[in-house]
Amino acid sequence: MKTFIKVTEIWIPDKERTALEFGSGLYGDLTDFKAASEQQQFAYNEGLPGKAWAAGHPIVLAKFEHSYFKRTAAAKSAGLTCGIAIPVFSGDFLMAVVVFLCGDDKDHAGAIEVWRNNPEQNSLKVMDGYYGTLQHFEAISRQINVPEGQGLSGLALASGMPVLIDDISQADTFIRAADARQAGISMGIGIPVSDHPGQSYIMTFLSAKATPIAKRIQIWIPDRQGKQLVCQQGYSKNSNELAKMFETITINKGVGALGRVWLTGMPVISGNHGLDYKPELDSLSSMLAIPVIAQGRLKAIVSFLF
Amino acid sequence: MLNVLLIESDRDNTLLENSLKGQGFKCLKILSQPNILAVIKEVAPDIVIFNLDTPPPKLLADLQTLNQQAAMPVVMFANDGNSDTINQAIKAQISAYIIDSLGHLRIGSIINVAVARFKHQQTLNNALEEARAKLEDRKQIDRAKAILMKTQNFTEDEAYHTLRKLAMDRNITLGEMAKNVIAMSELFK
Repeated sequence: MKTFIKVTEIWIPDKERTALEFGSGLYGDLTDFKAASEQQQFAYNEGLPGKAWAAGHPIVLAKFEHSYFKRTAAAKSAGLTCGIAIPVFSGDFLMAVVVFLCGDDKDHAGAIEVWRNNPEQNSLKVMDGYYGTLQHFEAISRQINVPEGQGLSGLALASGMPVLIDDISQADTFIRAADARQAGISMGIGIPVSDHPGQSYIMTFLSAKATPIAKRIQIWIPDRQGKQLVCQQGYSKNSNELAKMFETITINKGVGALGRVWLTGMPVISGNHGLDYKPELDSLSSMLAIPVIAQGRLKAIVSFLF
Repeated sequence: MLNVLLIESDRDNTLLENSLKGQGFKCLKILSQPNILAVIKEVAPDIVIFNLDTPPPKLLADLQTLNQQAAMPVVMFANDGNSDTINQAIKAQISAYIIDSLGHLRIGSIINVAVARFKHQQTLNNALEEARAKLEDRKQIDRAKAILMKTQNFTEDEAYHTLRKLAMDRNITLGEMAKNVIAMSELFK
């Protein structure tokens, strides 16, 4: 199965915490690009991860050529044309930057959007986004204002929690449902990120059937006692009984990949990093888990399974 | 009619070539060269014949690689009867290593025996590979069952039946499903 996202990276602060170094990444068979990335470092405000750190919110770089992107030649050879960087902050302090890189191949539908709120109007607007081949959907999305509490981004803003809508084209709560249906978008998740006083940012990932954002997406939250993580929701295009079984487990702080995210507040990539992946099995062989942090506390973990 | 690839080095092959043609083999002759492995794979003959004084270690290593990548019968005529060389030749899975005798009168039977030996060896290799795969599958299934027992509080029987149902639903083998379960559990490690 082809996914919308081609490369996923985690950039983490170095020992001095003044620059970002390579943490981990999922590159599939893009081994040359992987080699070009592993030795990179980004200072504050340098390159895509450094710019997201300095901006304090997610940014989308729609074209690499003649931009601040530092790996343009390697990205071009790998067929990568667009990048999205999401800084993970705990208060003022950066924990890591997650970078998604996408290509521009045909039948490449889906959308990754950054929404910014307007506190005076209690509404949100698309600040930036990448839509692959969905130009019409992009044009509509960039025009609308979404009231807080409505739509995917509005619900995520109001609750401060990730929101996953699994049949978005039919959902009453999704303002662009008809347009999403036309664009072939089937699922969406909104994730609160970079909460600054008076200014909030929401990431939305809209997944089309042919090129889903990930093979499965899960939302894990601490239980009422705050002692264990439980899976609140899991979604994939095809029913996955095995994944559902693993979503019944509870996770203790510090135990396993998700437990480590809870313990450290750092995003994690786990599993097979693509070398032995056998597409005929269509297994879930790698995972990116991103913490949702508000006021220094873990609110949820969103995991993208590939 | 078998296609024979005759690889020449430092010896006169006229007699051998004539014998091959005389006995109805289709013979292609090439000079030995550093990238001989690629050439053999491209020509893809039914049998390869070398006629040389002593097989260089690099050639024997290449033939061992050939056996792993695209196995085919190999006959080697050589003057070198050193036991180390013979051991290396056997390790390289050469079908017949004939010392001090070009045996042009017997070339037909030498080739037939070499091909038969090669086929027998391939059958054994396949059986061994199958047994190894089954053993590996069994190990993976046991590991997947242990994972399901631990994460889902299943009994061993329940774990096995769950694994089997998941495999049937996906139309894949039990071994493949076990790999999926292991891969999934690795994600949460």
